[in-house]
Amino acid sequence: MTPKNYLYEMIRSELTWVVGDEYVQANEADNLGHSIDYYWVPECWHDRGERPTPPDLVVYPGNTQEVAAILKIANTHNIPVTPWGGGSGSQGGALPIYGGIVLDMKRMNKVIEIDPVTMCVTAEAGINAQHLEWEVEKAGFSTMHLPASISCATLGGFIAHRGTGVLSTKYGKIEDMIMSLEVVTPTGEIINTLPVPRHASGPSLTELFLGSEGTLGVVTKAVMKIHPIPAARKFHAYLFETMHDAMVAGSQLMISRMRPAVIRLYDEASTARVIKRVLNIDRKGAYLVFGFDGPEKIVDLEMEEACKICERTSKEDLGTEAGQSWWKNRYKFFYPPYMFQLPQAFGTLDTVATFANIENVYWAMKNVVKENFPQAAFIGHFSHWYDWGCMLYARFIIEEPPQDPNEAVALYNRIWDMAIRAAIREGGVINEHHGVGLKLGRIMRDLYGPAFNVLESLKKVLDPNNIMNPGKMGFPGKGV
Amino acid sequence: MHIENYLNVIDACRFCFMCRHLDPVGNVTFREADTPRGRALMCDRIRMDAANLSNPDYIDAFYRSALSAANRFHCVSDYDETGLVLAVRRDIVEADLAPAAVKALAKTLEKDAFSVKGKGNALYFGPTPELYKGCAVITGGDPGKALAVLGFEAASKKVFARFKKAVTDSGCKTLIVAEPSAFEFLHDRLPDVKVIHSAAYFVEQGMNKTGSRKAVYLESDFLKNYCGNPSAPRDLLKQLGYKLVPFGTNVEESYAVGEGAVVYDTLYPTLAERLCQRVYDLAEGLGKTRFITASQTVKDTLKKYNPAFDVITLEEAVALSQD
Repeated sequence: MTPKNYLYEMIRSELTWVVGDEYVQANEADNLGHSIDYYWVPECWHDRGERPTPPDLVVYPGNTQEVAAILKIANTHNIPVTPWGGGSGSQGGALPIYGGIVLDMKRMNKVIEIDPVTMCVTAEAGINAQHLEWEVEKAGFSTMHLPASISCATLGGFIAHRGTGVLSTKYGKIEDMIMSLEVVTPTGEIINTLPVPRHASGPSLTELFLGSEGTLGVVTKAVMKIHPIPAARKFHAYLFETMHDAMVAGSQLMISRMRPAVIRLYDEASTARVIKRVLNIDRKGAYLVFGFDGPEKIVDLEMEEACKICERTSKEDLGTEAGQSWWKNRYKFFYPPYMFQLPQAFGTLDTVATFANIENVYWAMKNVVKENFPQAAFIGHFSHWYDWGCMLYARFIIEEPPQDPNEAVALYNRIWDMAIRAAIREGGVINEHHGVGLKLGRIMRDLYGPAFNVLESLKKVLDPNNIMNPGKMGFPGKGV
Repeated sequence: MHIENYLNVIDACRFCFMCRHLDPVGNVTFREADTPRGRALMCDRIRMDAANLSNPDYIDAFYRSALSAANRFHCVSDYDETGLVLAVRRDIVEADLAPAAVKALAKTLEKDAFSVKGKGNALYFGPTPELYKGCAVITGGDPGKALAVLGFEAASKKVFARFKKAVTDSGCKTLIVAEPSAFEFLHDRLPDVKVIHSAAYFVEQGMNKTGSRKAVYLESDFLKNYCGNPSAPRDLLKQLGYKLVPFGTNVEESYAVGEGAVVYDTLYPTLAERLCQRVYDLAEGLGKTRFITASQTVKDTLKKYNPAFDVITLEEAVALSQD
C-alpha cells in the first residue's frame, strides 16, 4: 500500500469501522516497534541506521469476529496480513516484510474460563504468557509452560511456532498442552477444532494450525491443559569430563523412562562461558542439571535414581545447590548483558534429533562453523529431552561482524545455511521450538522433500490470495 | 543530549523483551511504543539522528509513559529505562519541543510557592496536618518533582530552591512527607534535614490496633520501585489492625494508576481512566475490601473515575483509628 492515497484511506476507513479509530494505528512510534522483532537481521539493520520495513497499518482486534472482518477486508484488497503477538520470535516470523497490515493480537488478552474439573484454561490468543500463568496460578494451578520468553510472548505466539517451556521434558511442548483451538481462516471463516486432542475422527486439525506461524489463519482462542502446583520441585547438578559423558547420562535418564521435568546439558564451551558467567560456577567440563517435581516422596526417589545414573559417568557431584541455582537463574541467561547482544552477531541453531544422531548433529554443525568461519565461536546446550532424543540449542557468536549491514547479514545467512544443512545431513530437524519464519523458509523444501507439496497445497486452498504472512515458512511471498 | 548518559540502557533495552509484561500503559494500550523496548528503539533512532527528537509520534509516546519503574525493578541488571525516558523528556523540553499541554502545565507548576505555619521540631508536608501534633506545616504545591518528571529541569530546580528555603527558614531538622512522589524527590536533596515518609513517622510513634479489617495495600510506584520498597506502609497498616490481602495476580505489576508520572491524569485522563479500570476489574470479587494507598494522587484518580470505589490514604487510615 502507498500511504496517503485514496485506496489507503478507504482501507483504513473500513478497518476503523471494524475495530474503532483508536485501534488502527499508522504512526511512526508503533511502526518502529513492529518493524523489528527478536530476529538478529532487523536488529542489525536498525543498529546500522537502516530502516526495516514497517507495516502500513497496525490493527488491534478486540474479538474473533473483528479478526474475521479484518481478514475479509484484506482479502478484498489483497493486502498482506502479518499476525503479531509479543514480537519476541527470533526467526522474523512476525515481520511485515511486504508492509500491509500487522494484526497485533495483544488486545485479545482475556482468560475466559479456568476449568478445575477437566484441568484446562480457555484464553484468548493475545494474552501475554506470564499474565496467563499468573491468572492460572492465582486459581491454584500452573500451565507449566514456563519458557524464557514467558514475559514477552503471547499464547498465540507459542502456538504459532510450537513453543517449548523449561519444563517440557515432563509437561510437553505447547502442542502437547493444547486441547483445541479457535481459528479464523484466511478467508475470514471462524472454525473450532475438536474439543479433545486425542480422537479417531480423521487427521488433527489442531495439529494443522500448531506451528503454522500465521500462514494458514489466525488462532484467536485456545483451550490449554493446566496442572496442579507440585508439592516439591528439586534439582541436582553434575559435572562431566566431556559433553559425551553427560549425554550418556542424560539419554539414560530418558530411555530408562524416568520423568524428569527438566534436563539441561551444557557443552564444555558453554559451561566455561555461560555457566561461569551466570551461575558463577567455574569448572572445566560439561555441566548437567536435572529436576523432578511432584509429591515429595516420589521426587526424592526419582532424584535418588537419577543421581545413580549420573554418578556412573560424571566427574563431580555439584550437588543440589548448583541445581537450585540454575532454576533460580533460569531466565537470567536471557537478560542483557548476559544474553548476547549487538554489536555481536549471534544465532541459535535450534535442531532436534534422535539420541542416535544428536551428537553427530552437534559435531557436524560445530565443525562447519569452525572450518568455514574461524571468527565465530560455537557453543551449545541440550535443553528439551524426549524419550527418543533431544534438542540442541547451539549458538554461534561473532564478536566483531562486518560494519556494512549487507555484508554482516550475508555472513550471518551463510553461517545459518551451512550449519543447518550440515545438521539436516546428520538427521537433524529444524527446529524444535523457534520456528521457521523468514530466516529458514528456504530450507523447508529441502527438509521435507516432496512432502512440502502437501503443505503448499494446504496453503493454497486455505489462503487463495496468499494474504496470510506471505514469504514465511517457505511459502511464496507477495513479490517485491 | 541527556540520553547520551543512558547509552548502556539504550543498548540493553532496544532489543530486550523481558519486562514488557510490566508496563502499565502497554498493558492497556497494547502498543509496541508503550513498552521499554519500543521507547529504547525510539531513543536509539534519536541517538543516531537528533532530528528524530522532533517526531511528534515519538514525543507523545515518551510522555504517555507512566514511569512506574516496575520494569526497572524487575530487570535482573537494573537497567534504568525510567531514567532514559526522563532524560529524553529533558532533551525534548530543552529543544522546545514539548507538547502544548505539557508546556501549559509546566507554566502552572512553575508558580508553586511555599510557606511555613506553626512551630515544632519537625515540619510536615502533606494534606493532613491535623494528624501531626506539635509539627510545623509547610504548604504549597509540588516541590519540583512534577516539573522534573515533565523534563523541565531548570524550572524544577527553581521551585525546589523555594521549597528548600522555606524548610531552612523553619529551622526544623526533620521533614515528614506524605506524598510518595515528593518523598522520593526530597529524601536525598536536603542534606541537613532528616526526610522521612509519613508511614515511617507513624510506625515510629506506634499506633493502636483499632479493629480488624481486610484491606488491600496498593503498592506505591515511588516507595516500591524508586525507594527500595520500605516496609513502613505495611507495618503501619498491620499496627492499625488491617489484615492485608493480596491484590491482582502478582506482586510485580504497578496498579498505581500513573503515580510514577505524577501528573498523569492531568495529561492523559483517558489512559488514566483505563489504568483505573484495570484496578476496578481486578477488585471485583474482593467484596467489601478496602483499598489503601500511600498517595493522595492515586486515591483521587481512583475516586475520580469511580466515586464509589472504597479507597483511602494511609493518613486517612490513621485518622480513622483516632476517631
